[in-house]
Amino acid sequence: MLFNSFNFLIFLPVVFIGYWLFYKNFKLQNILLLISSYIFYGWWDYRFLSLIMLSTIVDYFVGLQLFKSNKQGLKTTWLWISITFNIGILGFFKYYNFFIESWIESLKLLGYHTENNWMLKVILPVGISFYTFQTVSYSIDIYKKKLPATKDFIAFATFVSFFPQLVAGPIERATHLLPQILSNRIYNYANISKGVKLMIWGFFLKLVVADRAAIYVNAVYNHVEQHDGLSFIAATILFSFQIYGDFAGYSLIAIGVAKLFGLDLMTNFCRPYFASSISEFWTRWHISLSTWFKDYVYIPLGGNRVVKWRWLFNLFITFLISGLWHGANWTFVFWGALNGCYLILEAIVFKRRRDGIFNIVFTFILINFAWIFFRANSITEALYIIKKIGTSPGKLYIGSGDDITASIYAVLAIAIVLSVEIKKEFFNSLWSVSQNKVELIRLTGYAVIIYLIIYLGVFGDSQFIYFQF
Amino acid sequence: MRSELKITGIKLIKFIVLVFLMDTGLGFVAKQLFQNQSTGKYARAQYAIYESTEDVLILGSSHAHRNYIPEIIENTTLKSCFNAGAEGQQLLYHAAMIKMILKRTRPEIIILNMDENFLYTSEIGHQRLSDLHPFYSDFKKELKPYLIIKNPYLDITMLFNAYQTNSTLVHAIKYYVFPQITEKGYRPLYGLMSPKKINEYNKNMDDCECVKIIDNQFVDILKDLIKTIKDKNIKLVMVTSPNLIKRDLKNNLSLKIIKEIARSEQIPFLDVLNHPDYVNNYKLFHDPSHLNNDGAKLFTLTVAQWINSLN
Repeated sequence: MLFNSFNFLIFLPVVFIGYWLFYKNFKLQNILLLISSYIFYGWWDYRFLSLIMLSTIVDYFVGLQLFKSNKQGLKTTWLWISITFNIGILGFFKYYNFFIESWIESLKLLGYHTENNWMLKVILPVGISFYTFQTVSYSIDIYKKKLPATKDFIAFATFVSFFPQLVAGPIERATHLLPQILSNRIYNYANISKGVKLMIWGFFLKLVVADRAAIYVNAVYNHVEQHDGLSFIAATILFSFQIYGDFAGYSLIAIGVAKLFGLDLMTNFCRPYFASSISEFWTRWHISLSTWFKDYVYIPLGGNRVVKWRWLFNLFITFLISGLWHGANWTFVFWGALNGCYLILEAIVFKRRRDGIFNIVFTFILINFAWIFFRANSITEALYIIKKIGTSPGKLYIGSGDDITASIYAVLAIAIVLSVEIKKEFFNSLWSVSQNKVELIRLTGYAVIIYLIIYLGVFGDSQFIYFQF
Repeated sequence: MRSELKITGIKLIKFIVLVFLMDTGLGFVAKQLFQNQSTGKYARAQYAIYESTEDVLILGSSHAHRNYIPEIIENTTLKSCFNAGAEGQQLLYHAAMIKMILKRTRPEIIILNMDENFLYTSEIGHQRLSDLHPFYSDFKKELKPYLIIKNPYLDITMLFNAYQTNSTLVHAIKYYVFPQITEKGYRPLYGLMSPKKINEYNKNMDDCECVKIIDNQFVDILKDLIKTIKDKNIKLVMVTSPNLIKRDLKNNLSLKIIKEIARSEQIPFLDVLNHPDYVNNYKLFHDPSHLNNDGAKLFTLTVAQWINSLN
């Protein structure tokens, strides 16, 4: 089920009312949340529910075994069972065909021609990258004695499949979410209000910013041979806002929905395009994933507490894996590697923290350059786009009819987002609509956003980009 | 808990009222802006739907809008004429337009300019129906069958005035700033084509005819449209507009089905698509598929004389 669908518009109030009817018994609330989460996921493809259930059962028992084992060797074995299982299903569904194809292509390059009979018709289960990471972190955290294993199977299953964040994050840690699921929740207007506000802004980011920008971006990036440098620059900048609107929008809706149920999810985005360095960008963009990689890949590799070359290697390898996590395509691997290179250069060249508008713009340009690889359909196309930007500015593609409307609406929406974020980033203490003491001003502010969503938004049950990851 | 619930309920009601008031107020302004246009595609559509009394109505995409000169049809057939062609629109739109027009008036002849791809699956054809949203409150029965295909929640979305005008406002404002003058709905194109320009166009063409699939809904819509027009005892004629470069249409299933339907329904059909008078005649074209004013004069005269010959 998609957040931006009418099914969800009916689903959410029904679950919300049912949930608070059981306010005296959090265990019943958890059962309702679990059933709702399975319905939410099964709406897309009920067959893959079995995969989530299997992952839940495996990690539930592994968690218990990890917790009660006293022998280090046994604990390590249980941990590897969890890691192998989760990364195994992720690898099979997401990367099997990619690696087979890449292997055959590389053999071809070496002059060996092999029949490609190994490919499988595999559907990528929605959200698999997210919930497998969530369950792996649970096992690792128990192994590291950061949290005890829960005996409450329903609570654990709810933690794994909690529907607001199941398919596209934020990737929650058991240390943060599980204790909330295991305790009583109190109905609180302030929390509900905050949740609804986050949802409204999230829908604005998704339906207006991302989906409007997508029309121009797709027109350019899906027909690269028809466009020149200026159009690629415009499309890439729009894509940077499309992916931000899409993903940050999803995260805000997820956090908002969770608040309606009295649960708190971690912040996933913090105005990333105001970062003044690449390293700062990664503390503001997809924070739940960045911190996951930091805690479970980068630090175990040694982090920065090693010799310099090893530290830089750790940085690079972490981002390379992060790129691969985003998708089974060399474009994502290259994008990850490029970000790794940025960080290495930054670590070598700049010793001190950088600030100021110049660094913000410079970082934004670097990030946009990397987005070219992220959005392009292949490495060849990405290189073609870069070549065109450098050698042939040409005419700016404007489109016609509805395309112009979409572009104008997208630019207008981006201007609104930027002005809101500039205010939050640099002038947060100034007069505010959302925090205003006058109720009418607050309500009117959000009514205006609702109106803008209806007026400028795209209503077509469009997918969220990160679903494919 | 009870007091918290009460606060939530009160705030929710206040918020809904505010959104409703805003939608009503701003929706009214947007509707006024839409309805008071005097030029542009929406003004032409409004004229055709609410006011037209002409004997001959022309419908179709840009090939209708740019290739048919009503004055020539009037002089040749001695019947009044209006060009209600709409750029970028496809069969769904024209079918919906005809249904709305026929609710009020009954022209003598409808000239439907058929693009050869009208029966192929087209997402854009559905998306661009948003141009008709502002008419939904007046023509719910006529528009619903077309709009509901891609929007099962049509009646809910149409509750919002903002939704009804959200696709049209930018264009409406554009026509206020840059009025689009027409000659009874016809907007001439000027300039000549050349082999060099053809190469430029070819470079930007998305040639994917091989993967086009017939949309059976479009086939049904065409058949239903013909029935509606026949039931009203209106003469329907179908025409294909000329093309500068000779097209290989052997495998164009859409055109084949259109012609079969026309034949079985005994609809007069004038196929000028690959007519030798136009193929490679650069001085008659503005671009590979749109005639310039000189070409439109010649083409319209041919169509008008053909209509006369049908009587």
